[in-house]
Amino acid sequence: MTFAPDSFSSRRDTIAFVVCLILSFGARLAPPVVQNAAAETIGRTILAPFLYLQEQSEVIKASRGRYAEVITLRDSVLVRALATTGLEEENERLRALLGLSSQLRVGHVSAQVLHQSSPASGLLALLSAGANDGVTPRAPVVAEDGLVGVVQSVGPDRSVALLWTHPDFRVSAMTRDGSVFGIVAPRGSEGPNTMLLELRGVPYQQQVPLGTVVYTSGLGGRSGVYPRGIPIGTIIAVGDEREGWSRTYVVRAAVHPAAVGHVIVITGTSVDVANAFVGAVR
Amino acid sequence: MIVLQERYRVAAVLLLLAVLHFVLRPFMGDFRAAPDLLLLALLVFAIRARPGEAAVAGFVVGLLVDALTPVAFGAGALAHTVVGYLAAWGKAVFFAENVVVSAGFFFVGSWIRDVLVLVVGRHMDSSALVWQLTVWSPLKALTTAIAGAVVLLAFRRWLHMRSRT
Repeated sequence: MTFAPDSFSSRRDTIAFVVCLILSFGARLAPPVVQNAAAETIGRTILAPFLYLQEQSEVIKASRGRYAEVITLRDSVLVRALATTGLEEENERLRALLGLSSQLRVGHVSAQVLHQSSPASGLLALLSAGANDGVTPRAPVVAEDGLVGVVQSVGPDRSVALLWTHPDFRVSAMTRDGSVFGIVAPRGSEGPNTMLLELRGVPYQQQVPLGTVVYTSGLGGRSGVYPRGIPIGTIIAVGDEREGWSRTYVVRAAVHPAAVGHVIVITGTSVDVANAFVGAVR
Repeated sequence: MIVLQERYRVAAVLLLLAVLHFVLRPFMGDFRAAPDLLLLALLVFAIRARPGEAAVAGFVVGLLVDALTPVAFGAGALAHTVVGYLAAWGKAVFFAENVVVSAGFFFVGSWIRDVLVLVVGRHMDSSALVWQLTVWSPLKALTTAIAGAVVLLAFRRWLHMRSRT
């Protein structure tokens, strides 16, 4: 079957093409609020059944492919949890003796990453959890090995996460002992599969050995985005040096977004979660 | 009546591609190289439609893609509109009712779509852009072309394709 007429392109075709181009430019230049509202509306209506199918496929894949891995992980977490109960009681008792308030609890929401086909999919990720699950904007998104990104916008059932590969991504970082602080930002690509970060603004007199693991610093207090102690990556090289002022270090990320299928969205972020990632960054 | 039946068949193939795009995505490995069945559906439609219809279809598909990855909303709509229009126009010029030629169409269409999305979106630094356009986009274009050839062969009676040159 061929719908095309004898003539290649009529005036009507040209007009339709031009109108679509103008509408596309209009969408591109629209304010972010309008763009987000349009994206959310389309996602909630036309795309909803398709995304539901993808979500179910993700669950089937995870349950089939990672069953043994998940069971092993669950058992090890269970053992750790049993040991933690006593520690928590002891911690509460000591806090009471010292007159400190109770430790804040960290909440979390599990979500599947619904990878898409757009070439820009490595910068943003659609998550299968939304406001109905407790996800809020600016909530950190982590995987088993460390930081993945931050929630940018939230719909009722799904949310969009800005990944660390996005040019706008920034996070305050530190070394494990808290002696060196800086800002981590994406550095670019040094190969088809090698996206790197950089630790900026480290004072010139402070030298960080290669192989040092960099964590979120938690700076910003209760209004900060990232809790303290989430692994970001490992320093692999010294980048730029501004003589006498500061150094920039090249960081290999702990998590590559393309390899992530399942993430955790942290809610209630003003806590130190360093111990949750012990042994995650090798 | 026969024309209507054929339209329903083409519509069924396009809907099947759209559903498979989402259902099979988790099983296709690295998403950067996985075939884009939504784009394939657009191209299958475009090579048997008028350029204007293909442009409108491209705009709609592009909006859906933008909603799925709202990094640069509108860039996908623009890219798919251009690719849809060019594919329909190119089909009229080159007569692409052949599986091999159509697969070539799918490869070029997928790569041009990626170029347009990334250039109009302007959200990648130069090094990442180069790797994307020289490694991942061609890989995705290749897998999309292979998937397209398989679809055309599987539904060649419905889509009226010739399997040999």
